[in-house]
Parts: sequence; C-alpha cells; structure tokens
Amino acid sequence: MMRYLQIFGTFVAASLVRDMTFRINFILECVTSLGWMGMNLAFYLLVFSYTSEIGQGSGWTKAPFFVFLGTGLIINAIVQAFFMPSAEEFAEMVRTGGLDTTLVKPVDAQFLLSMHRVKFSAFANGLVGVALVCWGASKADPAPSLTAWLLFPLLIGCGVAISYGLIVMLAAATILMGRNQSLYDFWFYITNFSRYPAEIYTGPWGGPLRMICTFVLPILLVVNVPAHTLALPIRAGDVRLIIAAIVAAVLMLVLSRLTFQAAINKYRSASS
Amino acid sequence: MISSKSKTRGDSPVIDVHNLVKHYRVADKKEGISGSIRGLFHRSSRTVQALRGVSLQVEPGEFVAILGPNGAGKTTFLKLLSGIITPTSGTAEVLGHVPWQRHDDFRRRFALVMGQKNQLWWDLPAAESFRLHQVIYRLDRERFTRTRDELVDLLEVGRLIHQPVRDLSLGERMKLELIAALLHEPEVLLLDEPTIGLDVVAQHAIHAFLRRVQTERGTTVLLTTHYMKDVAALCRRVVVITHGRILYDGTLAEIIDRFTTHKIVTLDFEQPPSDATVASWGYSCERDGPQVRLRIDRERIAETLPRVLAGHSVLDVTVEDVPLEDVIADLFRAGREPEDEPPT
Repeated sequence: MMRYLQIFGTFVAASLVRDMTFRINFILECVTSLGWMGMNLAFYLLVFSYTSEIGQGSGWTKAPFFVFLGTGLIINAIVQAFFMPSAEEFAEMVRTGGLDTTLVKPVDAQFLLSMHRVKFSAFANGLVGVALVCWGASKADPAPSLTAWLLFPLLIGCGVAISYGLIVMLAAATILMGRNQSLYDFWFYITNFSRYPAEIYTGPWGGPLRMICTFVLPILLVVNVPAHTLALPIRAGDVRLIIAAIVAAVLMLVLSRLTFQAAINKYRSASS
Repeated sequence: MISSKSKTRGDSPVIDVHNLVKHYRVADKKEGISGSIRGLFHRSSRTVQALRGVSLQVEPGEFVAILGPNGAGKTTFLKLLSGIITPTSGTAEVLGHVPWQRHDDFRRRFALVMGQKNQLWWDLPAAESFRLHQVIYRLDRERFTRTRDELVDLLEVGRLIHQPVRDLSLGERMKLELIAALLHEPEVLLLDEPTIGLDVVAQHAIHAFLRRVQTERGTTVLLTTHYMKDVAALCRRVVVITHGRILYDGTLAEIIDRFTTHKIVTLDFEQPPSDATVASWGYSCERDGPQVRLRIDRERIAETLPRVLAGHSVLDVTVEDVPLEDVIADLFRAGREPEDEPPT
C-alpha cells in the first residue's frame, strides 16, 4: 500500500512538473472549465428567477439546489483530475500498442493505467464546488445535521467510486474493441442524467429512466445521494438510497475490476 | 524446417518454451467505400498464425539473436515471453514463471525494450521516469543512484537526462530507454529492434554498452533485429524464425558453414583480363575496373585460384565468406510460406 502511495505521489509530482512546463495550456484549461461552470451557474440563476423550486414539492429550492450543483462539481472535479486524463490516454495506448510497456511493470496494471496522470486544472471547478456547497448548506433550512455532514464525504466517495468503475469498464471495452475514441463522449452522455435531481424523472418516460439510472447503471446515485443527504432533511426512505449508493459503489468497483482483468487477458497488442 | 535444435546445457534454462502457438483473428477489410459499407453488414476475418509451435531453451547468460523477415513472429515471441499477450497453446517459463500470469516476482526480474515504443514520459526529462522506476521496482536510494550513474556514464548521456524526452534525437532516446530498462538490474533483457533507425555511431555505442552490461552482469539477452551488425557484434547464438517456426538454431559461424556453398574471391589485377578469359574460369563474377569478384565453390578454391592467377599479374587477393546479410536473406527465402486460414 505504501509503495502504491509513493507511486501515486510520483505521478502527482510528474503531472505537476508537466503542467508547469505547459503553463499557458494549464491556464487556458482553468479558464475554459471555469467559464463553462460560470455559464451553468448563470443558467440556473436564470431558472430560479422564474421559479422558486425545481420539481414541485421536491424541496430543491435555490439553496439546496446549489448544494446539488456544488456536489456535482466536486465529484466531477475529482473524476476529471484523477481518472479521466488517464482514461483518455488509455484508448490511444490500446490502439497504438503503448500498453505493452505498462503491462511488464511489477505493479497492478489497473492502478498504473487509470491513475498515472493528474489534471490539476480540474481542481479549479472543485474549489468552486466546495464554495457552492458551503454557501448552499449555510442557507438551507433546516441546517444540515452533524450526521449529514459526516455522511457527505463518505457518499462523495461512493459517487467517485461509481464513476471510477464506469470509466474503468469503458476503458476495458477499449481493449476489446481495439479503438474507442468516443470514450469521453460516451461518458459525457451517460453522466448527463446525473446532473439533475432524481425527482425530475417522473411520468411514463421519467419513471423507468429513473429506475434504470438508479439500479441498472447507478449514475443517478452519484450526485443525488450525497447532495440530498446534506441539503434536504434525511427521511426514512432516504436511508435505503444511502445504502444503495454504498452497495452500488462496492459493486461497481468489483465489477470494473473483473471486467478490466478479463479485458487485459484478451489484449492482443498492436503490431510494432 | 531446415534445422531446429534445442539447447540444454544446464538443468534449468532461464527461458524454456515448448510448442508455443499464437493465432490472431484479423479483420479482412475490402478497400473503398463500397467495401466499407459491405463490411458493416458482413465482416470477413481470417486467422493469422503468428507462431506455429516454437520450442526454445535459453541458458543463463546467453546472448541470443532472434532473426527473421518482417511478420515472421519475432516480436510476437518476445511479447509472449514478457507476458503482454497470452498464447493460443503451448507452454513457456521465464525465470521459473509463466509469463502471462504476470506475477510481480517475475516482472521485477526482467525488462523489455522496444525500439518503436517508448516507456519514458514524453514531455518530461528522463530523470523523472527513472525516479518512477525507482519507486515501482522498490530500489533503495543508494542502489538506484549507483546504478543510474554507472549506466549514464557508460553511455555518456549525463547532460541528457534532465532534458525533456521529446527534445532528444532517436539515438539519445534509445540510450535513455536502455538505462530505464536496466535500472533494476534485470536477469533477462528482451530487446526488440533496439537499434532501428539509429546511425552507425549510435549503433556502435549501444553495442559496446550491451556487451559490457551483459558481460559484467551475466544478463540473459534475447535480441530481435534486422541489422546483421548487431548480431555479429553481440550474439554467438542465432535463432532464425520464419512464418512462425524456428528454421535454424545454432551459432552464427555455423550459419555460414551450413548455408553457404561458396566464397567471394576478390582479385586486383595489374592488367584487367579480357571478358573471354574471365568467362573461361566458369564462375559468376562482378567487374569493377581492374577488380574482379568471383563466387567460387568452397571446395574448389584451392584448385581454382592457381588457374586464375596463372599468367596474370595480381596486386591483391582476398577470400571472404558470403556477407551475413546475403546468407540470412537466402535463409529467409528458403522458409516455405504456409497459407494462413482463408477469410470466412
């Protein structure tokens, strides 16, 4: 474990050196992601100028909703910072055979391939997310309980674990397909559903979609459960969702591990 | 198969391979847009037989060249030995481990260098990649620093290790790749065309480096290459693979003895002989001014030379083996190409 932390520390240091080498690129990445996030915030401020609540009776008024947005930003920042850059490189490594030199290293291949690059510019959005969560929670009525505050980081971890499992499974698909350059697009499409409160998924289409995105591909649990736990009062039914998020996180990690190992065994490398 | 022999000079070879087979299924794509559209609905594929039953034993400390034409299966063989891919059938043990089980104990004890793929971080100085190797291979600081400095001194690349890899020439990069591969002092070193694209000076530097490292450490080395100079400089034992089978396994000297029937005799005449005279000697020849190069049967040199020299004033005579490149090329051509499975 200590060695893996040391290796990860080396990855972090190397990524920092790389980011500092390409300073302009680093600044542009920060500016564009902050700009994108700023436009999102402006959009939701506009929405709340027309309505006081998203989903009648859902409880997602302005302050709780900004906790939701902040939670999404924090989880997304962690995923974008620690896993996505490696996953994006992974597709190219499979296509060109660059994976070969990684597989001969005496370290777990999944660890090496999914965490070797850290994108520091992603933390900019994460910091804004933390600020939004703090602001929203301070305005929430009733204020979040101590239990909610203690559960929040755990459930953030579950959300990150679910996302990580999904990324690893998509990366494993790359090995089987040989080429999967739409990995990032696919990730964006399916996680799009997780950016809104689960309560909006109602009716003949919304209901089944909510069930699928909760129990089949549990992306609705990623942001909703931690945000709901912190921003809204915890009711009896919410405990089941908290347990579901924890179970889903464990299952996704196990499933992604099995998928990745099966895929690596099918790896055929590219011609030299 | 012209010849295949396995070598077991000790009880436990470092590399022990039996009947290794690797088949790939590859898409057989028709050209053009219509072919691509047809491919959407019906995709034909065929099986490529990369290795068709390779058996090989390598003893500790051997430096073995794996030769073969493009597509012969050399790189596939090294990928199997390093555990990157799994075989269709057959068995292999490297350092007592089954490579494709990828045990860390095994991976700590060997290294793979591929001339066309880099393991160093592209945007960063090699020193950063070396530090990663130190952590991955659990090298204590003192051992790491000593080994790194020794290797850097041997290759005279001290000023390069702090320069981003993307700014290095191919030869410089390859030297640093070799250092990275040797930092953990592997017992087995697999080299896949490490001198490809390098100039003669860089090739010589790498030859000298590999020879010294192999001699001092007793490392077992398998080298695939297309450059006969690599082979002549480094390897006593040569394995020739064509179409996924071992065609020859023996010493380099033996290749020339076994697979050439003639020698090249070069004569520098004071007065060039007439074409009719040269034709009367009965051997194929090349002429370049007063110089004549004859291909003469090895057994008949002693009886032929006096006849050729009689009545001519000759300034110089050299008798040489056929160039190794030509022998190997003939050997490659001698390997009959079996058909792969037709598209389905």
